[in-house]
Amino acid sequence: MLQVQNIEKYYGNKNNVTKALDRVSFDVADGEFLAIMGASGSGKTTLLNCISTIDTVSAGEIRMDGVNIADLSDDALAKFRRERLGFVFQDFNLLDTLTVEENIGLALSLNHTDAKTVQERVREVAGKLSIADILAKFPYQISGGQKQRTACARAIAAGQSLLLADEPTGALDSKASKNLLEIMSEMNRDMGATILMVTHDAYSASYAGRVLFLKDGRVFNELLRGDRGRSVFYHEILDVLAALGGDVSDVL
Amino acid sequence: MTYFKLSLRNARRQARDYLVYFVTMVLAAALIFAFNALAVSGEVRTLAARSENLSLMIVLASLAVVCVFGWLAVYSTRFMLSRRSRELGIYLLSGLTGRQVARLFFLENLAVGAAALILGAGLGGLLYQVMRAVVMAMFAQPYHFALELSLPALGRTALYFALIYLFALGRSRRRIRKMRIYDLIYFERQNEGAVLQKGKMRRLVFGASLVLGAAGTCLLMRWNLYIALAGAFCAILALFGFFISFASGVPAFFDRRPARKYRGQNLLIFRSLTAKLASMGVLMAVLSVIFTATLISEGSSSVLYGIMRGRTAEAACFDLYIGIEGEEQDPGPYLAYIGENIPVEQEWLYAVYLSGSRRIQEYLGDMYYNYSYDSDPVLRWSDYAALRALAGYPAAESPGPGEALIHCMTYVEEPLRNYQGTLLVGQTALAPGGIYTEHLSQSYGTVNGRGYILVVPDEAADGLPVHHMAYAAQTARPVTAEQYEALSGLAGAERDRQEDPSGSVFVLSKAYEEAEVAAQALMGCFPLYYLALALMMTAVTILTIQQLGETERFRRQFVLLRKLGMDRREMARTLGRQFALFYTLPAVPAVLIAGFFIVHLAMMPEPGVMVGWNHPAVIVMISLGAFFLIYAVYILLAYTSLKRNVLPDHDLK
Repeated sequence: MLQVQNIEKYYGNKNNVTKALDRVSFDVADGEFLAIMGASGSGKTTLLNCISTIDTVSAGEIRMDGVNIADLSDDALAKFRRERLGFVFQDFNLLDTLTVEENIGLALSLNHTDAKTVQERVREVAGKLSIADILAKFPYQISGGQKQRTACARAIAAGQSLLLADEPTGALDSKASKNLLEIMSEMNRDMGATILMVTHDAYSASYAGRVLFLKDGRVFNELLRGDRGRSVFYHEILDVLAALGGDVSDVL
Repeated sequence: MTYFKLSLRNARRQARDYLVYFVTMVLAAALIFAFNALAVSGEVRTLAARSENLSLMIVLASLAVVCVFGWLAVYSTRFMLSRRSRELGIYLLSGLTGRQVARLFFLENLAVGAAALILGAGLGGLLYQVMRAVVMAMFAQPYHFALELSLPALGRTALYFALIYLFALGRSRRRIRKMRIYDLIYFERQNEGAVLQKGKMRRLVFGASLVLGAAGTCLLMRWNLYIALAGAFCAILALFGFFISFASGVPAFFDRRPARKYRGQNLLIFRSLTAKLASMGVLMAVLSVIFTATLISEGSSSVLYGIMRGRTAEAACFDLYIGIEGEEQDPGPYLAYIGENIPVEQEWLYAVYLSGSRRIQEYLGDMYYNYSYDSDPVLRWSDYAALRALAGYPAAESPGPGEALIHCMTYVEEPLRNYQGTLLVGQTALAPGGIYTEHLSQSYGTVNGRGYILVVPDEAADGLPVHHMAYAAQTARPVTAEQYEALSGLAGAERDRQEDPSGSVFVLSKAYEEAEVAAQALMGCFPLYYLALALMMTAVTILTIQQLGETERFRRQFVLLRKLGMDRREMARTLGRQFALFYTLPAVPAVLIAGFFIVHLAMMPEPGVMVGWNHPAVIVMISLGAFFLIYAVYILLAYTSLKRNVLPDHDLK
């Protein structure tokens, strides 16, 4: 589904160049749940921003179903974001003026989908994410966990095939985090959503099927969960982090 | 949900979140509507037939006002864009194109603009009635409230509003389409820095700005267009230099003086101030320039009105006055016309004599303005007493034997009281007696002296040469423009008949003079006030938007301060000081520059005009009072809103 090929990203000017990503390559298969881990400054958010078209790469290619996203026109990029990508941010990024229902249905309604279909689709997704009873509420009236589930619902309501999550549990307490991660797993398993999640939390990463480790802008290691239980996978992730050096404290 | 619905909802939120901006745009629409309704009103046009350029002046002022409010709209939409960058980023992430987001924003602002226009036109209708009442009072006409919708004024207001919004939205549309998602999402992470980093450069710019400011203010006071323009340029440069160097200099000042920095709430206040000033140095300078322009417009308008009012008050103290100088000095034709056409309640025909001596002229010297008498002018006591009765003044004490009274304008009263010599009238020396200063038509034309006149016992005037004959009357009804023109026509014919036409006949009607003042004020002062109001509202709205834009940051700061143990009263005091400093800074240079300018301008007319309510100090006080009244309303609104939103309701127990 997604091919990231030798991408590089530089910031700064001629005299002071920071290399945020250094020849990063990996593929994401359809229906996969991939976590990207790394310490602060390792380049994981930059990588997600490049994939999500929020930012552009300095070199290399990002291909979605064989199409290089750098070749897309502005209109095609907007269509691509509208139909293919869903976003979940650490700080939710819900629109305060819209109710939960309207936030979820925003992309659909902007796609000129008829009102009945929008409502049906929103209710269907909201039901699966256990937020059907708060649809009429505004973001300031609901909890952090509910906000993040609303963001998840918005990310997939329009039938987007790739869900990009940037530290989705960062602003949640442990109970809400666990709840959200289970919901994301269900979205991946039962609804076929492909998920790419950036996190520095080993517990969150243990819900993924595969974990990529970034260090100083490069892919340092890769772990596949396979048939192992989540608890075992979690400890393996901690081992890799320990090998990354000095970063275990970040996650414990 | 459609774009339209989303835009409407955002428009409602915009009107709520940026209430000050919305209210200002409503007031802007009201202001534009009211002034244009005045310009197109048939009633006002008939009254102000002599203000034939009124409509043109209002159009010109409206164009300037459109530019001012256009700038406000551009600034405010840009400010909103930056504050809502994350939200716009989410729209783009949701799959909207830049064009669609721009359209969304356009519709939203169009809805806000339309709401402001509708509300403003309603309010403008009421404001127009207030202005109509003022105009009617100025023309001494009865006022009757009549609610009417002026379609031409509404059309003009809609056109001006469309110009304001289309200009602002065109700018924001380009901006939105150029925005990148990354910049929008991470806008809040951008740092703001001081413009001038180097201390030496900063001090140099600061010093230069003070010198330029003083020089600019002096040049502004020169009565020459080009020099005044150079002065304005210097003053503007000075304000920019001052605010840029001051903004960068405050942190350096406190860094070198840690004891001051940590005293009281200085640290909090100065950090808040510098955080704002670092990014607002240029804006503060622009606002200060606008405040200066506001005060100058307002002050000039008051001075202009003061000059006209002051001159008329002195000159037109009788309903009708005719001064007949020249070869024959025959009042016959005028009296005949008056007898046939003007109903007179009281009248007096008298002569103004020449004393044959210039003692008082020479004593007053330079103070004496443009005298036109070969020697000190003289009135008989009986004529003077009759004139006082005619003007409705209390009776004066008659001069004793060997004594003369002086009736003068206020500006020569004090030196004349100090006069120690005798008054020479013909061959008789008289001692100076009482001095009276009511208005007695002594300022210009062939009137009762120029600045002063000696009032002597009747017998002392016997044998003195007559300077001119004079006629004064109080009429049953105000003298009409046609009657005034007819009397002036007689005067012109008389002048044409004379061999030496230098001696003229001077006709003066109170109603005509007051209508002239009203017409001039309508044409000159109203547009200036219109512009001043627009400038003031724009500048103070921008300041308030900036301040209220910090609500969230202030709220976080005070939550933390409460946890650190600061009590509520102390927090309120800190907030109050931050507020006071923020609003004082751009106003101080404006008050200094404009204050000097207005005082100088008010001292330009001939002596004796700018007295009483027209005194330069009074005009400055009134101009500053009106300025600070509007300023205070906005400050109070902003402070109340900020205090309610950022200060905790009670102290932690």
